[in-house]
Amino acid sequence: MVKANTLNRNNKTKFKRQDLVGWLVMLPSLILFAFFVWEPLLESIRLSLYSAKGIRLQEFVGLENYIRLFRHPDFLAAFRNTFLYIFYSLIIGFMVPIVMAVLISETVHLKSFFRVGVYFPNMVPGMATIMMWSFFFRPGNTGVLNILLSKVGISPQVWLNNPKWTIPLIIITMTWKSAGSTSLIYMAGISRISSELYEAATIDGAGIWQRVRHIIVPSIFSLAKTLLILQIISVFQILYEPLVMTNGGPNNASISLMMLTYNYAFRDFNYPMGAALSVVICAILIVLSGIYTKLTKDKE
Amino acid sequence: MFFKSYSAKKDGAIRSFDLHSFRVKLLIICIVVICAIIAFVCLFPTVWVFLASFKDIREFRREVTIFPSKFDFSVFVKTWNDLKFIKYYINSLIMVVGCVICSVIFNGLIAYVLGILKPKGHQIVTGLVMWSLLIPSTTSIVALFVNVNRLGLSRSFIPIWLSYGANAFIVVLYKQYFERMPADLFEAAKLDGCNVLQVFLKILVPLSTPIISVATIFTITAAWSDFLFPFLILNGTGKETVMIAIFSFRTSNATDVEVLRAILFSIIPPTILFLIFQKQITDGAAAGALKE
Repeated sequence: MVKANTLNRNNKTKFKRQDLVGWLVMLPSLILFAFFVWEPLLESIRLSLYSAKGIRLQEFVGLENYIRLFRHPDFLAAFRNTFLYIFYSLIIGFMVPIVMAVLISETVHLKSFFRVGVYFPNMVPGMATIMMWSFFFRPGNTGVLNILLSKVGISPQVWLNNPKWTIPLIIITMTWKSAGSTSLIYMAGISRISSELYEAATIDGAGIWQRVRHIIVPSIFSLAKTLLILQIISVFQILYEPLVMTNGGPNNASISLMMLTYNYAFRDFNYPMGAALSVVICAILIVLSGIYTKLTKDKE
Repeated sequence: MFFKSYSAKKDGAIRSFDLHSFRVKLLIICIVVICAIIAFVCLFPTVWVFLASFKDIREFRREVTIFPSKFDFSVFVKTWNDLKFIKYYINSLIMVVGCVICSVIFNGLIAYVLGILKPKGHQIVTGLVMWSLLIPSTTSIVALFVNVNRLGLSRSFIPIWLSYGANAFIVVLYKQYFERMPADLFEAAKLDGCNVLQVFLKILVPLSTPIISVATIFTITAAWSDFLFPFLILNGTGKETVMIAIFSFRTSNATDVEVLRAILFSIIPPTILFLIFQKQITDGAAAGALKE
């Protein structure tokens, strides 16, 4: 009791001290966030306005790096490809997890096996996934897909070397890896639908397909909107797949904005150009994030 | 027998009262078959890597079969020794352990302050953390790399370890968990004379083991699979991790089957982790996103 009283009396003066203690406790974490997340964003902007030799800045050049960036043909290719990646990921990658979730929700037998099975690719490290699929897409007789095709009498394909197929095939690889984890989120959404809704709909004469159409689809709609934006944001940064599978080729057909950044900074050691491109990507991502925040606010 | 268990079905559009119709029974069987095909597609590539790794390079080039002619585990031992894989495993282990420690301590502390202590002005930090959730770190990799070099910290594990101490996703995960705890608990501990850090260590950490283990599992998988930042910092220093190693085998004179075995070695640890913690992992993956 005595202690509690003194605590109350000192409330006014102690208030400030407690604040200070709180800030001190999170100071190390704040420094890490500043160093690894926040400061690099500002540093990118500063870096992009200078010319440099290695990591040493030379002189202020204004927007010259940006002008050089936009005039370079690689930028146009990468910019166009990034939107192609997004386009194909919407066609291929967006629907697959929804369909998977709806189907697996309808099973009783082996359900936990299906859940674990579809999530497994997500545990395979990204680099291993990409190298594994490179063996599948290998042109010639030793490619796994060509082996499978030869069994049904179709001649070997060149897969990734065909510029028209490169991006869709890369998207298939990405979908293979990430669809399972996304579908688990949809499954959780579907399992939260109350049984009464289905019963009421059945009494009103709704068949199974109509129940899927009018109960399941609307109830995961807002989830789908959120996941769609998150998917676009993640496809926007695609880097490992073109880097490892195609090296951006054939003839720039699969080069992405992030891969171009990698080439500028870590192949040519032109850090200011890399930083300038990072700033451009970041600006686009901020706009997308703004849309995302607005969408999630609407949900509430 | 097969359809009997459908009477207890809780999910989805098909309900127990639909079962009397033959068409519905057919539909149910079709769905199970399609799901089996989906699961097969998800698992086949990894199984193929496993099977193909048993082949020798001649067999791999000439024989267009899925199954190898013989299962001889000594080829794995040989490749493990030839590629000196133990070194990469140890490097990856050092990296993962450091990343987990940093992740628990630093993300835990900031979540503790933002979720429970809430000092004046904490909203600003919360806003910044939520915002960094959406701007992924790959976009600032160039500036980060330059900064690390300026500080002379490259060629060491330290920047990689510390980078895992600033993970907005894990901060949010912890924060949501901490906020659901009863506030009286912390008041009582304070009255008992615990200082701020003692409350964290003696009350919060023991009560949060479920969320800490989920976050730790995700950190282990993420750190094990991490490529770009470790590659830029560690490549050519003798501290290469497994991911850096398999990336460089691609262009080295290692044969196809050796590369395949190396890929398999890189998949084994996360697979074991997944087999042990499959429930926590699949539940955590779904729950983390829904709460947002």
